[in-house]
Amino acid sequence: MSYIVPIAPYHPSLEEPVHARLVTDGESITDAEVFIGYNHRGIEKLAMERNFIQTMVLVERVCGICSHSHALTYAMTLEAIGGVNVPKRGQYMRVIVAELERLHSHYLWLGIALHIIGHDSLFMHSWDDREKIMDILELLTGNRVNYGMVTYGGARRDITKEQADQVLQMLHEIEESNKRLADFLLADKTVALRTQGVGVLTTEDAIRIGAIGPHARASNVPVDVRLDAPYSSYDDFDFNKCVYPTCDVFARVVVRVLENFESIKIIRQALDSMPAGKVNLGNKIPTIKPGEYMMRHEAPRGQLSYKVVTNGTEYNERVSIHVPTFKNAPTIPTMLRGNSVADAGLIIASIDPCFSCMDR
Amino acid sequence: MQEYKRIDITKDEIIPLAERMRKDGVILAMIHGHLGKDGLPVISYEYQIGTGIESYTITGEKVLPTISHIYDLAAEWPERELSELIDITFEGLDTSKRLFMPESMLEGQGHIFVTPMDELIEKVQKKKEE
Repeated sequence: MSYIVPIAPYHPSLEEPVHARLVTDGESITDAEVFIGYNHRGIEKLAMERNFIQTMVLVERVCGICSHSHALTYAMTLEAIGGVNVPKRGQYMRVIVAELERLHSHYLWLGIALHIIGHDSLFMHSWDDREKIMDILELLTGNRVNYGMVTYGGARRDITKEQADQVLQMLHEIEESNKRLADFLLADKTVALRTQGVGVLTTEDAIRIGAIGPHARASNVPVDVRLDAPYSSYDDFDFNKCVYPTCDVFARVVVRVLENFESIKIIRQALDSMPAGKVNLGNKIPTIKPGEYMMRHEAPRGQLSYKVVTNGTEYNERVSIHVPTFKNAPTIPTMLRGNSVADAGLIIASIDPCFSCMDR
Repeated sequence: MQEYKRIDITKDEIIPLAERMRKDGVILAMIHGHLGKDGLPVISYEYQIGTGIESYTITGEKVLPTISHIYDLAAEWPERELSELIDITFEGLDTSKRLFMPESMLEGQGHIFVTPMDELIEKVQKKKEE
């Protein structure tokens, strides 16, 4: 007999509100629908009422996890319209914070995924490491959530030699811990039983629906904006695209653990070869010529895109924000079909959703 | 640096262009929309070509054909969003359910980008008083 099982908008396995309606046949899911919009705050509308610097502060509030990604992408888009060259040192500072943000986001997701599958001790270890990354972010930016690190024309803060040494020492600890985490996750039977063959999104489906970021890379789709269309000096660094072929929840775990190593590698290279000079071009509210541009950044969850239209004043005519979850959430029904109701929470969480990001 | 190129097209070119892009394996990055200075809608189809974006733009059209049968959900969600926020009709697209806005918002219209801020505040205030 067929039943409709509603999941959420408020559910223990979901950190943010979204609603899924599962059509079930016994324990098996035969179809699903996803409903979004519970966090719509009208941020794009508000951006049309604010100047460029105020908007930088506003867009950081789109997301509590990838806040730097939003400010960075918005700033890069404005700089592209304004024809501004950001000092190399400022670009490196932006990359360091972006990669620390990726680490903290991936550890956050790993913790949640482990908590959902019932592995609470590893969830605690994962979040212990995340705490260290947040300490580094606090050391560099003075903040743990909205870092306020980006400004038009560069970064708002520089890094001292002592801070760089401290960061390198802490990164060494995090890397050692990530190795232990990786060894455990790849060999543990509980993790394997709950994630292997669960929530499969085939390569064909991922391309058809337009999945992006680690979610697509876990379906064997080699997309990564940092390497495919480099920006902010990413082409100065040597790192790899992490792709895994099994297309299930396990692949999403593996990709994110491997990406932690790559992020650490990028931060080390940036600190070791930090160019001398200024980090920004000053703090005046810019007046930007009329124009439009679209820039993309590889945020922790995938490609984040900003399209900005300017009209010659210091206000935006339009700021259009599209986040990775907007591209990945439509894959949820495909992944749910054929799985059991008990796995629905894990499968939905496996895209590393950020619904407040998506709803804006 | 990621390049960005705007190319103006007509409404009739949307589907042949989408079919060609899909055949060539080009990713549809997004469909964007806003109201220009003259109040006319500006809709752009952003395709990822090489390291940059080619933005195929249509100005002044409120009714456009859907490309969701070509680009699946990668086009359907952005089209539903534009339909809700800027009041664009996509012929052939099912918009019977809202994507972002509550069904009851602004007398069932909810087109927040085409409604001036003062008017929005007034309408929301009125709704609260009711």
